[in-house]
Amino acid sequence: MIDLNVKGSSYDNNFILAMQASGYGWKHINFSYDYSEYDEALSFKKDLTDNLKDFIDIGYTLNIKSNNPSEIRKIVRKYRNKSSCISVLGGNLKVNRNCLENIQVDVLSKPYFKRYDSGLNHVLAKQAKENNVAIELVFSDILKSYLAYRSKILANFRDIYRLYRKYEFPLILSSGAESVFDIKTVNDFKAVFTQTGLSDLEVESSFKTAADILKFNKDRKNMILYGVRVVD
Amino acid sequence: MKLKVLPKSQRKHNHYLVLDIKSEKELSKNDFTSIAWDACVRFQGENNTSNFNLWTIELIENEKISFFNEYKVILRCQRDFEDEVRSSLALVNNYDRKPISITCVGISGTIKGCSKFI
Repeated sequence: MIDLNVKGSSYDNNFILAMQASGYGWKHINFSYDYSEYDEALSFKKDLTDNLKDFIDIGYTLNIKSNNPSEIRKIVRKYRNKSSCISVLGGNLKVNRNCLENIQVDVLSKPYFKRYDSGLNHVLAKQAKENNVAIELVFSDILKSYLAYRSKILANFRDIYRLYRKYEFPLILSSGAESVFDIKTVNDFKAVFTQTGLSDLEVESSFKTAADILKFNKDRKNMILYGVRVVD
Repeated sequence: MKLKVLPKSQRKHNHYLVLDIKSEKELSKNDFTSIAWDACVRFQGENNTSNFNLWTIELIENEKISFFNEYKVILRCQRDFEDEVRSSLALVNNYDRKPISITCVGISGTIKGCSKFI
């Protein structure tokens, strides 16, 4: 049970969120930070990990919000070795395309953000599969919207599910929680996504995909080429 | 005249959800009932909600240790519709413009069995 996108803030807030998540059955959470706050957050990461090691594993996700593809590329290169997961906020078609073509990016978050469609098509879906970039759907988008807007987001989710079934790109589900009010039990989280049209197996495999991303990035230092790793 | 009670085999089968509620506003049992019905009607629609057979059994107030009020609730729903109910309740975001969070911490087939989650 892994959540790669819980909004990170101060040490105390992170601690409260992590304890709540642990009580609700989560095994690992990643706090996401913008690149301007990331270095500061790294300063208390060790303390946080030590204090929470009996309850839950934690990590940091670098969340990049920019509409400029070359800036994104630059930030990704700079932070690649410092972070266990790099995600880019989508929504802009140029950004969506550039992220999915960049093998160093782990996650394209919310490709449907502020759009009237899902932000993905068959071409982008193939690119996602080829470059192993995961598409992230965020629970808090459904939670914090209502009526017609919520329906449109659910419709976008269903469009993404259809492409996912055909092209089998990595799909991850995350909570996007900002406070204790946004964290739900694992079973509730699964139930919401099964109600929107994913099967139980697909929800389970999305957790596995998230675990694979973390494992892949742990080994990244020892990797000479994609698929070739120093064992010793 | 009172209706005769249905034979056991003809009755609806119920399950009981134990819910953990965090709310900035104080809640009564009636408030919670209306929140639960509204949430289900909104997310699942009137037709599906009619299957759920919702009934609030008990609302228990926990000691206030943070800036929000904490409650535990036992909610009855019909068997095989637990996922529909819990997903609808998980999507409740605010009540009276104050943040609220409802999440299901356990399911049991009997009211007595709920005690281990409270």
